[in-house]
Formats: sequence, C-alpha cells, structure tokens
Amino acid sequence: MLKKISLPLVLAFLAYAFWVSSDFTEIAAGIALFMFGMLCLEDGFKAFTGGTLETILRKSTDKLWKSLVFGMTSTTLMQSSSLVSLITVSFVSSEMITLAAGIGIIMGANIGTTTGAWLIAGLGLKVDIAAYAMPVLVFGMVFMMQKSKTHKGIGYLMLGFAFLFLGIHFMKEGFESFQQSFDLSEYGMTGFAGLMVFTLIGMAITVIMQSSHATLLIIITALSAGQVSYENALALAIGANLGSTITIILGSIAANLGGKRLAASHVLFNVITAAVAITFIGQIAWTVDQLATFMGIRDDDFLLKLALFHTLFNVLGVLLLMPWVPKIESLLLRYIQFKPKGIEQPLYLVPQALETPATVVSAVKQEVKHLFENAYGLLAHGLSLKRSTIDSSESLSEAVKYTRRIFPIDVEDLYEEKIKSLHNEIVTFIADAQLRESTQAATEELYALRQASRDIVEAVKGMKHLHTNLSQHGLSTNLAVRERYDQIRTHLAEVLRELRQLMATDDDLTHLSLDALRVESQKARRKLIDELDEMIRHRRIAASIATSIMNDEAYVTDIVNNLLDSVSILLKKPQEKVEDSLHLDEKELTELAEKN
Amino acid sequence: MKANKLLERVKQFLDADRNTQLDKIRSIRKVLKELKEKERNLRDKLEDEKDSEARESLQLRLDVIYAQRKKGVDRVQELKEALKEEAKPKD
Repeated sequence: MLKKISLPLVLAFLAYAFWVSSDFTEIAAGIALFMFGMLCLEDGFKAFTGGTLETILRKSTDKLWKSLVFGMTSTTLMQSSSLVSLITVSFVSSEMITLAAGIGIIMGANIGTTTGAWLIAGLGLKVDIAAYAMPVLVFGMVFMMQKSKTHKGIGYLMLGFAFLFLGIHFMKEGFESFQQSFDLSEYGMTGFAGLMVFTLIGMAITVIMQSSHATLLIIITALSAGQVSYENALALAIGANLGSTITIILGSIAANLGGKRLAASHVLFNVITAAVAITFIGQIAWTVDQLATFMGIRDDDFLLKLALFHTLFNVLGVLLLMPWVPKIESLLLRYIQFKPKGIEQPLYLVPQALETPATVVSAVKQEVKHLFENAYGLLAHGLSLKRSTIDSSESLSEAVKYTRRIFPIDVEDLYEEKIKSLHNEIVTFIADAQLRESTQAATEELYALRQASRDIVEAVKGMKHLHTNLSQHGLSTNLAVRERYDQIRTHLAEVLRELRQLMATDDDLTHLSLDALRVESQKARRKLIDELDEMIRHRRIAASIATSIMNDEAYVTDIVNNLLDSVSILLKKPQEKVEDSLHLDEKELTELAEKN
Repeated sequence: MKANKLLERVKQFLDADRNTQLDKIRSIRKVLKELKEKERNLRDKLEDEKDSEARESLQLRLDVIYAQRKKGVDRVQELKEALKEEAKPKD
C-alpha cells in the first residue's frame, strides 16, 4: 500500500516544488544528473572488467597500504573525496576490487581530501572540476558513438564524469543564494554544546552543498573574516567530514550489495573518526598547537592550523581503524546481507537436498519448474497479456486483437532478476552435487535438467529482442503489419497456454502431446511466411517491415522450440522408454506440417 | 534347492531377452490403447466444434495421434516378428 502511494506522493511533491522554486529545480536536476553520472560510470567500468584496468586496479589495491596510497593520490589529484568515493563504489559494485581494498581507498580518500584545506588555506587555490564537464561531455559522446567496446567504455566513463561534474555544478549554482545569506557569526557558541551544534551545522552545509570542499571554503572564509571562532571552525570541519558520507550514500542507492557495503563502511569510518575527534578535541587542538610551532606556523595563523587539524584528525581516524579493516569487512559481509529487491530466490535448492542423488534430482527438477513458472510470467507480460488471460479459457486471438498498449516492462531487468539469478543457482547446485557420490542415472538426469534450465534462459533471451520490436510495431496503424504481429503473439500465447496445461496434467500421454505442438509451430511459421511473401508481391507491405516481422517470427520459433525442449525434459519420466519410440522424428513432423 | 526349481531359474535366465521383448509389446499396447481413447475424445470434440480454426487444430492433433499410433503398431509388429524368428528351431 505504502509502495503504491509513495511514488505519486514523491512526484506530486517534486512537481509542486518545481513550480514554486526555480532554485529547487536546479538542485533536483543536479541530483538527477549526478545519479545518472553514477550509472554511466558503472556501465563504463563494466566495459573494462577482466581487462587491463582490472589488472592495474588489482595490483594497486592488493595490499591495504597500496589502497590507502591509491585513495590519497587520486583524491589529491581530483580534489574531490566524494568523486573518488563514488568511483570506488562503482569499482566494488562491478566486483573489480574487493570490499577491503575499497575500504582502504575510502580511508586514503579521507586523508587525500585534507590536502584541499591546505590548498584553500595556504594558496587559496581550488581545482574547479565543473569547468571540465562540457569538453569531457563532448569527448565522451564522440567515444560513445564508436563501435569498439573499449571506446564505448571510455565514452561512458567520460560521460559519467561529466554528468557528475555537471550535477555538482548545478547543485552549487542552486545553493548560491543560500550560501550568500548564511551568516555563521549569528550562531557563535562555546563549550560542548557549541561543539555539537557546529558539528551538526558543518554536516548540514556539506549535505546541502554536496561537497566537503565547499564547506571548508566557507569555514576558512568565515574564520578569516572573524565570523566564527577557531574552536567553532574545528567543529565545523568535523561536521564537514560527517556530511560527506551523505554523498556516498546517495551514490550507493544505484549500486548493488557490494557498493552498499562500501557505503556503510564509509559511514562507519567517518562516524567513528568524528566521535573520536569530538571526544578528544582538546587533546587534538593541543597537538595541533605543538605541531604548528614545530612546523613554523604562526600562533595566530588559524587558517593553516585548521588545515593541520583537519589532516591530523583524519590521519588519526585512519591509524585507529586500519588494524580493524579485515574485521570490518567480515562484519559488513555478515550483517549487510539483504538481497536486492526483486531478485528471485531458489525455493527447493536447500543444502539438505544434496544428501542423496534422488533428492538432488527431485530438488533440481522442482527448481527448474519454478524457473519455468517465472519465464512463463515474463513471456506472457512480454506479449502484453496477463497471466490470468492465458490461464483462463477466453479466446487468445480476441485478447491479442483488443490489446491497446504494449506493457512497458524492462525485459532485461526482469531477466536478470527472475531468470538468470535462478539459472545461476541451479547450475551452482548441480556443480555442488557432482562433487558427491552419484548414480549414472542421476548424473544423466541432472545433465538433462541443466539443459532444460538453459533452454528456458534462451527462450527468455528471445523475448528481449521480440519485446523491443513489439513496442515499435506491435500496435502498428498499418493493418497488415498489426495483423501479422497479432498472429505471432497469438501463436506464442497459445503455446504458453498448452504448456501450462500439460505441466498441470500428469498422465502417460502428456509427453507425446508435445509432438502436436511442434507440428503446429511449424505450420504457423509456414503460414506467416507464405502470407508475407504474398504481401510483398502485392506491395501491401514494405520489404523492410516484412523482414523485421520475419526476424521476430524467428525469435518466436526459437522461444517455442526452447520451451518445448525444456518441457519435454521436465515431463519425462525415467521409465518412459516406450513412449520414446512413438515420438515423431523431424521428418515425420515436417511431413505433417506440410500436409495440413 | 530342488532340481526343478533350479531348472526353472535356468529357463528364466535363458528367456530373459524374450521376456523383455514381451514386456515391451505389452507396454506399447497399453500406450496404444490410451492413444486410441484420446483419439476418440478428440473426434467427439471435432464433431461438436463449429469454429474453423479450432477444427483445424483438432484435426492436426488427430493426425499426430494417428501417426504415433501407426508408429506404435509397426513397432509391435517388428517385435513380434523378432520373437517368431527366435522361436524357430535352429538348423
């Protein structure tokens, strides 16, 4: 219920906010671009998985100290810990580096980011990454348009960076007015309360600005203008560190489990570091004074002392937590175990089923049937028909004829969630079972069942292409085209209905009934192709559309054949040798299809 | 073990192949009977069906069953022939 109303509520809120505030529109567009950039980065890095980049990354992050140095250097060069953290989330998400290496990079990034404070305080310089966005965007697009996978990957990476930069830029633009009207001196406080309040303010500003660098800029400007005391500025710097975790949390929304674990480690790290800094602020401030004297920094040069404080408490955090990295990694692996929503879990593949060859076969068979059920639902929706329509006895050709819209489903996503994940589990389970003692018959059955699972996967893959074309031409205003697509849809829907019924009935002849479906399928194919030829001859349809329909028909034939093969394995009983001899062979099936 | 019991076992052992073939014939006949029953049901349906497409589909199913039955009957004939050949006294 909540899920149903939350989306309209969010949309309504956004629409209202866009209407009343142009600043908000800019900020929201910034966040959208930012998240889109994250997705592009992930796609980009995926193109390089298994290649050179992976080797370089693995080599430069195979030890904790190397990850730390990698994080430090890259953050110093890019001048944005958020960016490095986000890229690291992408690395971990696409499993290019391990979680421990990711934690190392994040720790390094936290130290690297403190160089920004030195640059701002010492030189007043800051690398403006947003300025690079436009050219990077153009170059990225040019690379994207190339055919080579590597070039495309580079293109995605560049686009990803460009959108991240643009996103941050838009957010900053949107908050400019806010930044100008924010007067910190009004909130001057001392003691523990002051420390807590200013930490929260620092955090809030960073969350809003989406950049701890921007916050540091404000703190340093405010400190030099005397708007805040040195003591409050230290608290603000701690807050800025805490606030930067929000960026990575935002980035991890689009990431997978690995990315989410890394985001959690970042939050953990920053919260612990902040807690230590708040508890020992007196001692750290004293150390800063001592070090400043030692380094020749003037007593009243609060700007450099602030930078020193920033570096010191981040280094302290890293030193404190470094020995615990393996422990943190195992804790995260154990406790952040939630499965991403929608991923189908196996119902029958439990470890106990591995006990005997018979239980293995039975469990795998049930699971492949489960996979078939999922594929059935996906294929039905891919045809823009409800499961209930196919399960009912109403006329399928009528249901197809009166279809008003093609279901806007994401077949690729559903394939990953409902089909591939389950197929992976089945293959893994069979591989585990093969390590144990088994009988010849069980081994053969498992081999056949693995093939059945693969056939189902192939059938759904066919739907990926078919659905794209159905979305384009399925409801064409050209009646001839529409009728041909209706024919294709009806045929597949009828096969699905028959197969569902066959799976439900369990008599001796069920298996033999598949022959009739094979003949029907061949016949439907011949009929459609003959009709298309006729139409091309009479110029009732363009040859280009006719060939598209022929391609789609071929997809349907593949889907049907794969489904029939899988169901044939699922319905087969071990003792059914007799029926085998009654099955029609390829030649006999073709003869019957031609006869009718 | 008594002599005739022992003889019975030896006979069973020597007739193993023959028994398997007889079993096969029995199983095929059972399936053929079921197919015949199914064919009869489909014919009844075909008589009542008015829709041309549905009639076409039913006819196709009947053709497939007919072809399967024919295949089964041929197989039974083959097996019977083989049994007769075996039963002939060897010269």
